[in-house]
Amino acid sequence: MSGGGIARGRLAEERKAWRKNHPHGFVAKPETAADGSVNLMIWQCTIPGKAGTDWEGGCYPLTLHFSEDYPSKPPKCRFPQGFFHPNVYPSGTVCLSILNEDSGWRPAITVKQILVGIQDLLDQPNPADPAQTDGYHLFIQEPVEYRKRVKQQAKQYPSIV
Amino acid sequence: MSGVPNQEDEKKPNNEQLAHINLKVKDQNGNEVFFRIKRSTQLKKLMNAYCDRQSVDPNTIVFLFDGRRLKPDQTPDELEMDEADEIDAMLHQTGGFSI
Repeated sequence: MSGGGIARGRLAEERKAWRKNHPHGFVAKPETAADGSVNLMIWQCTIPGKAGTDWEGGCYPLTLHFSEDYPSKPPKCRFPQGFFHPNVYPSGTVCLSILNEDSGWRPAITVKQILVGIQDLLDQPNPADPAQTDGYHLFIQEPVEYRKRVKQQAKQYPSIV
Repeated sequence: MSGVPNQEDEKKPNNEQLAHINLKVKDQNGNEVFFRIKRSTQLKKLMNAYCDRQSVDPNTIVFLFDGRRLKPDQTPDELEMDEADEIDAMLHQTGGFSI
């Protein structure tokens, strides 16, 4: 499992770098089992909504699933099921160019860049590549209702402060 | 216990280093403040020092470490903090729910 060794080694480095320096208000940590053992392949993260946008005030939970092929392949990034956003699949999986191995993914992209990229995506959806009907239709056809839903969702994921 | 006194003396700075930890507090504007405290010291010392230095009311600031809110009586040891770990200083927000 030399591939797995590479993935884990890189993830250990990513975690080390994150502890020393990370974007303010973001959380990213490997999953810890009940027995205290750490699973580097699954990270529990939190993305704060950007200040000055309708997403502000929310802290959105995101799970990163890394494979043994990481960093050749990107992690799968998932919000909770049913997350409201034009570029998030009903399963919660985020659809973003830099997370697509056939498109924008590069092995040098860090966890930090992924999370900041997803934070940007929240307020800047790409209607040209929708992943769910609900969020897409409202964004295109009913901007007022769309904003209402976004603000509602922000309250659904309150910040712990 | 059989060590020569001189050797004990030389070890001292090393132990001293292990007993301390450097921590960084970062605010929403990216400003960083560095602290060096004992691993066994309660974090309220750091929290108070930060608020003093920044001239902010402690009631308006919440400190987060790995997404957890720091409690004043916790210590770096207890939270398994590492050398150079970063703490987020968050402005405390009150929504519309205060009664």
